[in-house]
Amino acid sequence: MADRFASVAANPYSWPFDGQWNAADSALLVLGFQNGMVAALHAEPEVKVAARLVSAVCDAGLPVIASRRGLAETLSPVAARRAAMGAGMGDPVFPPQTPEWQLAESLGLPGDAPIFDHPGDNAFYSTGLEAWLRQRGIRNLVLAGLPTEGLLHATQRAANDMGFECIAVSDACKGTTAARHSGQLRITAFGNGLFGTVARSDQIIAALSASALN
Amino acid sequence: MSGFWPCTAPEKPGKAALVVIDMQVDFCAPGGWVDQLGEDVSNTRSVIPAVAEALKIARGAGLAVYHTREGHKPDLSDLPANKQWRTRVHGLGIGDEGAAGRILVRGEPGFEIVQEVAALPGEAVIDKPGKSSFHATDFDARLKTVGITHLIVIGVTSDCCVQSTFRDGFERGYECVILEDCTAAVETPNHQATMDILKAYGGRWGTVSDLAGFRAAVEALHG
Repeated sequence: MADRFASVAANPYSWPFDGQWNAADSALLVLGFQNGMVAALHAEPEVKVAARLVSAVCDAGLPVIASRRGLAETLSPVAARRAAMGAGMGDPVFPPQTPEWQLAESLGLPGDAPIFDHPGDNAFYSTGLEAWLRQRGIRNLVLAGLPTEGLLHATQRAANDMGFECIAVSDACKGTTAARHSGQLRITAFGNGLFGTVARSDQIIAALSASALN
Repeated sequence: MSGFWPCTAPEKPGKAALVVIDMQVDFCAPGGWVDQLGEDVSNTRSVIPAVAEALKIARGAGLAVYHTREGHKPDLSDLPANKQWRTRVHGLGIGDEGAAGRILVRGEPGFEIVQEVAALPGEAVIDKPGKSSFHATDFDARLKTVGITHLIVIGVTSDCCVQSTFRDGFERGYECVILEDCTAAVETPNHQATMDILKAYGGRWGTVSDLAGFRAAVEALHG
């Protein structure tokens, strides 16, 4: 196991900012790769990329954490409005335990991967995810998810405010339109990384398989 | 007034709050941080009159008003290392001494709200270390204590702190509205992308309206 992985050639800077990431202080978050969402967004290619990432990250010894969005029994007014509009909202929310709510099998999640359930977009809100990461000393997060401007970005925004050093994987997420996907990632990287950085999966996989040169 | 509130109108004007995000010297005044970086503050300055008008409407109608300021403690104990590092690449980072005092540090001249839209005595000011007004603040507790259910979010910048507060408001069950003509970003493409994302499908996290819509909605509350 590498003491330190090579830095990722990310936009807008070489990630992580201090060059320090290893299997003990970094994790992969895979957000909302559920059957119904994959179908709604036609995101089968992005699931394939995410699966490659899951496999590479597991080989490198990093933990993989999944999140799953589902309708909660008590809904806020706006969440209830979303639920009532269903697929008309672009990124539908599914009732727990339905086939649409299940995580895509093809993601190849390890059996011991923790799964955090949340009714909104932000996988940190009221879930215990932050405590899970802090207890293990994790400070760097690689994020993939659906949709880009929904779960992925909301979760990255929250992580960034908490001080986690984040990298969004551009080909392992998809927006409800291509313009919203690219617009949200442009905002992510603006101002030398207002919300962290962006890179393609092959750049991250290459860095994981190369130890940093000291 | 249909279409202004995401679901339903507040039960009474006192249940709605106008939230004015980060109208600080560092973000939208000559001599502030963004200006010192050589960035254009004309976008963020351009909404000052509209924000002032929204404040006038809210104050006249008895809505609660909250102002926020982004900044850090003088010892920078609440400043994540990566946040400081990213800003120092520009040559003048958070905590550094600039023309309007230390950048984004509480108590410094650049941290203050521009006088055109300054808080009146009795209005709440939330000092926050993050982009979201809900992160590491007592904002949520204060809103819940007085029974606020609806938020109208304005200020700067649309792509950053306004969007973070709007999204987090949704997560916490508030009905949120952004006034498009009372918010701006440093770069126009980021503002446009933000508005497109927030307006899509009629507003997944809340609604996007404008000053005229706000005025009409407030009049309807008093109707």
